[in-house]
Amino acid sequence: MRPIPLLLALVALLVPAFAGGDSGARGAERGLAILTAKALTVPPEGPQVVDNAVLLIRVGRIEVVGVQGELELPADYELLDVGDRWVAPGIIDLHTHIGGRDFFTNDINDMVYLTNPGLRVSTSVVPENRHLMTAVAGGVTLLLYIPGSGTNIGGHGILLKTGLKSYERMVVRDPGSLKLAQSGNPESWTVGIFRSFMNWHTRYTVRRGLGYARRWADYEAGQGPRPEKDPQWEVFRDVLSKKTQVSVHTQIFQVVLMTVTMLSEEFGLDVYIDHGSFDGWRAAGPAALSGVPAILGPRGVSAHMVVEYRPSMSVENDTDGAILGMAAKYQEAGHEMIGFNTDAPVVPAEEVSLQAAMAVRYGFDTSRAQHVRGLTIVPALAAGLADRVGSLEPGKDADLIVVDGDPADPRTTVFMTFIEGERVYDNEREKRRW
Amino acid sequence: MNLHRVLFALLLLAPAAANAPGTEGGTGLALLTRKALISTYEGRGVLDNAAILIKDGHIEAVGPAAELELPEGYQLIDLGELWVTPGLIDLHDHSAGNLMDLNDSVYLTNPGLRAAPTITPGNMAMRRARAGGVTSVLCIPGSGSNISGWGILVRGGFDTFEENLIRNPGSLKLAQAGNPERAAPWYPRRTFMNWNTRNTLRRGKAYAKRWEAHEQGRGPKPERDLQFDIFRDLLEDSIQVSVHTQIYQVVNMTIGMVAEEFGFSVYIDHGTFDGFRAAARAAEVGVGAILGPRAVQAPMPPMVDTDGKILGVAAEYQGRGHRYVGFNTDAPVVPQEELTLQAAMGVRYGFDNSRMGAVRGLTIVPALTAGLDGAIGSIEPGKEADLIVTTGDPVDPRSSVEMVFQRGHKVYDAKEGKRLW
Repeated sequence: MRPIPLLLALVALLVPAFAGGDSGARGAERGLAILTAKALTVPPEGPQVVDNAVLLIRVGRIEVVGVQGELELPADYELLDVGDRWVAPGIIDLHTHIGGRDFFTNDINDMVYLTNPGLRVSTSVVPENRHLMTAVAGGVTLLLYIPGSGTNIGGHGILLKTGLKSYERMVVRDPGSLKLAQSGNPESWTVGIFRSFMNWHTRYTVRRGLGYARRWADYEAGQGPRPEKDPQWEVFRDVLSKKTQVSVHTQIFQVVLMTVTMLSEEFGLDVYIDHGSFDGWRAAGPAALSGVPAILGPRGVSAHMVVEYRPSMSVENDTDGAILGMAAKYQEAGHEMIGFNTDAPVVPAEEVSLQAAMAVRYGFDTSRAQHVRGLTIVPALAAGLADRVGSLEPGKDADLIVVDGDPADPRTTVFMTFIEGERVYDNEREKRRW
Repeated sequence: MNLHRVLFALLLLAPAAANAPGTEGGTGLALLTRKALISTYEGRGVLDNAAILIKDGHIEAVGPAAELELPEGYQLIDLGELWVTPGLIDLHDHSAGNLMDLNDSVYLTNPGLRAAPTITPGNMAMRRARAGGVTSVLCIPGSGSNISGWGILVRGGFDTFEENLIRNPGSLKLAQAGNPERAAPWYPRRTFMNWNTRNTLRRGKAYAKRWEAHEQGRGPKPERDLQFDIFRDLLEDSIQVSVHTQIYQVVNMTIGMVAEEFGFSVYIDHGTFDGFRAAARAAEVGVGAILGPRAVQAPMPPMVDTDGKILGVAAEYQGRGHRYVGFNTDAPVVPQEELTLQAAMGVRYGFDNSRMGAVRGLTIVPALTAGLDGAIGSIEPGKEADLIVTTGDPVDPRSSVEMVFQRGHKVYDAKEGKRLW
């Protein structure tokens, strides 16, 4: 028996009372004023940076973003002057599997049917697990925790704040998404099924689900009988009403194109490319036209991968020998909604900034801070949360990080992470974890 | 004026400048050639010392070079001794997508499955096919089950799905025997497969008729069923049934059941073995015959008995009065770029080529068969400028493909970059 975990657990029990007292946090009376050399505010439109900024935070929200010397600091606010350090919005990762027990115990990849829209990862959430705690230290404040891609529809994802200490406080939205996986993994569900059957079967499931949701919508509008409730199809009511999105593990050209043509154009759903990699960028033009955001990773590059046994019978990602930056290729096609994800724990969530760094290395244009936007406001927009998170704007949750440089630069350190005004990580006050 | 504005203005101009002569929005293009195999179905098939005018991706005019009045601004390419032929069409292909994804034999008949989600534009197989002069293919599901789904007609020249798409569904793919026996462990054979296929076709046609009645105001709105939607296209006659059918009995069933009993437009695809014994009936009913990838029938007792002889399949169809004989490869089983060899083997084993049946069987015949003759298959004004430039008769294995044009774009030039075939 090692006493340390027990000790940590006791400390953890004590922390909420203490943390609730952080100035600026939800439970606190007192506000917090942060002074910083540079705030990467990254709102959807307009200037992306405020130099010599002041952020006023109160009751978990950003109250004001102003400029030092112009904005009068309220007398009763606690002052936190971070000097030359920068402040950026908390990072958002829309493709993770780390909200629960260790991934490899596999609570979230129950491959019972080929499509399982009723399964929920919310039943497996474990607050403060070790993956989440490291993610917080890497500046990740919000993530989409989703089922695995063992089947074409794995179930409901859930949007969680990483660093908070109870399930109720962590949940941002459930269902956070309907998780769809088009190919690459679901083939192993049984023998003999590949892309044409999976395409048919997925279309069939989505049609049935939307049919169920429409019957409920008719009933609620007083235009039909009360349908029988079916847990397998309930999520489609949120999908139909656009309260949630379809997050699609889709990476190879053909299936990315099907994401655009089938889910967005044919069914009219709010949908985004998630775990985008390989040669999916070849469908970037249609994706941009249909307004399908592209969240890319965990392979930032597309290298030549051709097994020339018989050309059309092999796995093929033919770049003619070149190594390509995926984000740059999406951007080149006119796509402006490009974000980044990790697939944690496959690639750890705390390394999501590295996905953006690799994009820049391979040609991604950052003249409008697109690399920071891709970690913050773009995923917030994709997940329908831009009214709450993703940028430093008045009224939004005070989810932010304090760093000593560009957050996408691997040489940069995360010093503090705030979630809803609460300082959930401070590498000088406690143990540095990343 | 600042430099950024200048650069931006140049960017705006760039797309217009990128429209090459002969392509949509570009100036015109004139090709001069020693021999144009114009390949219309009726009439003469050849024009010596010809000029071909191309504008907006289409053929504008064809005529003797001596009578050419070159319109102003047209680019002139004198091909010298090289010949020009319509782009080749292969109606039995699995390499525009990935064969692994195209044979999902979940049920014994799967009319709802689609080849479209597997298409990979510009994949290695299609690049090589393009270098072999093949510009359009019917990419179809495999023959692991009796009905394996929708084929799709695609071009081979471009890098995006949208530019390559010709028609979806391109066909309903039916496979009558030879492979579907392996679909189930209980090993269904021809009587059960015939019953089950007929049952599916009947159900599908009934579904389509219910929709037709609804759309004509004669019935309630049927519930949509993705498994049977394609039968609405078949009933409207806007697509065909392409049938992998090769042995006499099942070729006979293709004619008797699919064409005569159900009245669908249908053609023999992947026609081999002794299917030619049903050729006269096929000709009479108007069922096209696309043959390959075995151009010959050697003795294979007890399945096919030729009394020891080796027979040319195309010649046998022709000898029984069939006038719509084309060729296919079954790529990647036989590579797409070797399509012309199927026609060459046809000629070697007695196919009468005096009316250029070999070239027509690679161009206008498959175009007519798939209902695309309004757009491709011959060098005629108004058709898409899908053309190949060769050193001689394209069916002659000694000829090489020098250039390939698709909708006026030069999509391959053996002298530029790597020669691929």
